[in-house]
Amino acid sequence: MRAASVRARTAAVVGERPSGRRRPRGGHGMRLRRGTTARFVLLAVLIAFAAFFLIPVVWLLLAPTKTDSGLVHSNPFAFGSLRNLGTTWHYLVTFEDGALLTWLRNSAVYAFGALAITLVTAVPAGYGLALTEFRGRKLLLAVTLVVMIMPASALVLPLFLEINAAHLVGSVWSVILPMSFFPFGVYLAYIYFSSHIPRDLLAAARLDGCSEWGVFWHVAVPLARPVVALVAFFSFVANWNNFFLPFVMLPSSGQYPVQVGLENLLSSTPSFNPAAGAGLDITRPELALAMLIAIAPVLIVFLFSQRALVSGMLAGATKE
Amino acid sequence: MIHIRTTLVPHAARRRRLAAAAALAAAALVLAACGKAGTPATGGTSSSAPSFKPATQNSSAPLTVWVDSTRLPGVQAYQKAHPGVKLNIVTYNGDANGSNYLQTKVELYDRAGSGWPDVVFTENVNDITWATEPGIDFAAPLNGYVPAATLAGFATNALSPCTFGGKVYCLRNDLAQDVLWYNKKLMNSFGYQVPATWQQYQALGEKVAAQHPGYIIGTVGDAWAPEVYFWASQCPANQVTAPSTLTVNTASPDCTRMASLLDTLIKDKAVSTDTVFSAGFAKNTASKVLMLVGPSWYGQTLFNAVFKTPAGQIAAAPPLAWAGDSATYTGDVGGGAWIVSAHSANLKAATALATWMTTSNAYQATAGTYPAYKAAAAAWLANQARTGYFADNVAPAFTEAAGMVWPGWSATKFSQEAIWAATVVPALTQGKTITSMLGAWQTAIRDQAQALGYTVK
Amino acid sequence: MSGRKARRARGTLRARHGYAFVAAYLLLLLAFGVLPAGYAIYLALTNSAGQLVGLGNFTAVAGDFRFGPAFAHIGVYLAIWLVVLVAGVVGLALALHGRMRRTTAVMRFLYYLPGALAGVASVLVWLFMLDPTVSPVGWLLNWLGYTSFAQVIVPGHLPVVLAVIAFWTGAGGWIVIMYGALNNIPDDLLEAARIDGAGPLAIARRIQIPMLRKWIAYMVILAFATGSQLFVEPQLVGEASLGAVSNSWSPNQLAYLYAFQANDFHSAAALSVDLLVLGLVCAAVIVTRSGLFNLE
Repeated sequence: MRAASVRARTAAVVGERPSGRRRPRGGHGMRLRRGTTARFVLLAVLIAFAAFFLIPVVWLLLAPTKTDSGLVHSNPFAFGSLRNLGTTWHYLVTFEDGALLTWLRNSAVYAFGALAITLVTAVPAGYGLALTEFRGRKLLLAVTLVVMIMPASALVLPLFLEINAAHLVGSVWSVILPMSFFPFGVYLAYIYFSSHIPRDLLAAARLDGCSEWGVFWHVAVPLARPVVALVAFFSFVANWNNFFLPFVMLPSSGQYPVQVGLENLLSSTPSFNPAAGAGLDITRPELALAMLIAIAPVLIVFLFSQRALVSGMLAGATKE
Repeated sequence: MIHIRTTLVPHAARRRRLAAAAALAAAALVLAACGKAGTPATGGTSSSAPSFKPATQNSSAPLTVWVDSTRLPGVQAYQKAHPGVKLNIVTYNGDANGSNYLQTKVELYDRAGSGWPDVVFTENVNDITWATEPGIDFAAPLNGYVPAATLAGFATNALSPCTFGGKVYCLRNDLAQDVLWYNKKLMNSFGYQVPATWQQYQALGEKVAAQHPGYIIGTVGDAWAPEVYFWASQCPANQVTAPSTLTVNTASPDCTRMASLLDTLIKDKAVSTDTVFSAGFAKNTASKVLMLVGPSWYGQTLFNAVFKTPAGQIAAAPPLAWAGDSATYTGDVGGGAWIVSAHSANLKAATALATWMTTSNAYQATAGTYPAYKAAAAAWLANQARTGYFADNVAPAFTEAAGMVWPGWSATKFSQEAIWAATVVPALTQGKTITSMLGAWQTAIRDQAQALGYTVK
Repeated sequence: MSGRKARRARGTLRARHGYAFVAAYLLLLLAFGVLPAGYAIYLALTNSAGQLVGLGNFTAVAGDFRFGPAFAHIGVYLAIWLVVLVAGVVGLALALHGRMRRTTAVMRFLYYLPGALAGVASVLVWLFMLDPTVSPVGWLLNWLGYTSFAQVIVPGHLPVVLAVIAFWTGAGGWIVIMYGALNNIPDDLLEAARIDGAGPLAIARRIQIPMLRKWIAYMVILAFATGSQLFVEPQLVGEASLGAVSNSWSPNQLAYLYAFQANDFHSAAALSVDLLVLGLVCAAVIVTRSGLFNLE
């Protein structure tokens, strides 16, 4: 395949430099003409919203350094002590003989497993929906949309019966397979491919003698890095945060992902569940620390994919 | 390159055809009603006793045990002490806080035809109501497997929520009998006597409001407030009188007397409309708690762990009586239970586990809450005295209260706590009185009960 | 006519390959989307004995004493939520887009942070944030006249409180998406407008927002659907308050109760279909208006 010539033509059409990097955006042409007061107002608004989003997170970060009564009595922004942090950590990791680690491991298995299947199915599907024409294309889009909007509580029983009929209840596939169905990823890819890959490019590649698969693999996929990153990211986050599906499907506590484990932890906290009674060492600082540990992977993935997510062309939609 | 622009709007003719088809389908739907909608729910106790057909028994089959994190050490200890029985231990949330987890899973397993656990611990004794419903039949009757003497060894009326048609379907793990908690140090320094009747309680509250404003003698903002006050007053707000039939009458004098008592004290600010578990209460009011009417677990879980009241201050008195009543009763705020699955292949071992967990001193003596089994309770009380936290021995008050729980407040499929918290507490927060909310409370109970299949009288 | 025939042959070939690309996804769609949804619709139309009951389940559910209040709650919530979300997300994305690159990246990360805190345990965060006695923004709540947690979550305040929580968790992800979509607008267009003397507000109104139309349409469809199917936020506040928010505040919560408290999957399915139809009507209106399904 004359990949090199195809790439060069791509670059010419899209306006990128062959290396693929865009011109850096600076503040030059964007400086406001209407004076610095407007600029300050804008900055103030941005900072106010940053405070709105951040204050609870800062509180959560400081919570494990305090004791439970410290959370109530001391200043919300006060730093407790490192010794408290150590105690909190100790109680958390010894909960149910190190269940936290098991939960994290399970979450990783489910999230990455489903993610792999999602990438392999959703990206080609988006491409097919956007850049090929076949009967039922619109129907497929519409059905996908309908299924996205269906409330989950109605789907629990049918899904459970289906998984049970396939004798998969209790195995990791009972969670990975349903999670790998990610219609939002398909829409993401669809919108991206339909908006940002010019058909002329594909036509040119076809003229050059590329097969359909070749067009996809050699032309579309290299240009699709942002959307692959986007689908991967949102799929990972959705899988990592999915509570209801594992809650229903998994019978054994050794298989819980971290969200279900957190729910267990919550029920073991006397302030939320007086029936748990005294004697357990789980109080609200331990819960806070567990939450922070549970979201760390998501934030790390976000940091790594930030550039890919917003660089160049981007398209997407997600259902939080 | 000619692109064919396709749009979502089909041709006019196709559109008309689609519309016609849709209209036909809708008409068909409306007309095609062959049966009555919904699942007939029977609610509460069944009209006939739940059916029980044990599965093929295998005395060496492993047991799947569902337990919450608090009782997990007990089950692990049982496994160690009985290595012959293979236990597959699953920790779950104990079905707490209205999560409905146990019911959800049992219903799913019912439809799949397999997968039930052998023996479960639930923190919510109300679970037994759906577990004994015909059609679900999850709970196994235990009379054939637990000796009658053991069953008789539970506190008076402790097993009545578990009993249907003369058979016992669960074993109570613990009681949360309501006693009168008081701060002995403060009472002595203020020169007050511990009240013995509700009338004295009210008088004391008015005195406290006048002489030491800011100090409180009770809370009504807790979700379990009706189980503390109205249950003790024998208010018929939650009485299952016949299978699937509920009696609710909050206008009864037994209810109104408690409502007006509380309203007087709320107006005086001697009783708080906040809940003991709110952060605001812990911060501002915990040090000003003179008395609280509440369950036996308040001692360690609330005063010690949350309020951090120093040792040697808190004591418990027996439940208050209504002067003029022939008998004194108290309420009960929950307590957990063990249920043995009717689908279990090893009922003997499953029941043995449940019996051990509820009756053995080995586990119960150091449990967090007051055991429902009398002998274990005695051991537990001895242990509590050893911790030295309370100002006086709580044993007399606890034991007396354990025997006085009024049997007229039943276990139900709906949660009284959820109704009180969602209906009455917000009104109290906005300044309304309990007496003015009695009608709304009754309506809410009636609506919830009917939605779950009860007939409400 | 050989040209047309050749083109048609090529077209059919391309169509076959189109199927090949979507095949794997189609399998998943059928297994985990269409089949369960179809079964759910079947459940909505039958009773527990398997008989067809027409619209019986729907009328029974509509007569439930919790049905009306639940939809009333969600109506008020949606009105607040849609306005706040669209205005907030588009506004913030535009504001971010005019800043220096590094600040923007940091801000985007900060705005996204709460979204990662989705989940059951975030009840802890809101228990403290909404309690004036211990909250970092207690001064604000006190200024508004609330001195206790119970006062903040009285029924009248709930739509606003829940919209705030939903915005806090949901806005960040949308801002990331909108910001990226803004990056797609060619620089030359913006330069040209600037040279013509347009200020940032005019550029936003005349160029950027119209070019964002598809994404905004998409966001509104999904925001409407997720808003009408609100579940997590009222459940959270209910747990945090130990029950002060009814566990059937929203229709989706009621569907959950039908399924898992009353063992009535048929009513749950009927209510879910109600919510589905609601979401689809909104989607259909927006799709046809904005030409979302059209190929460029």
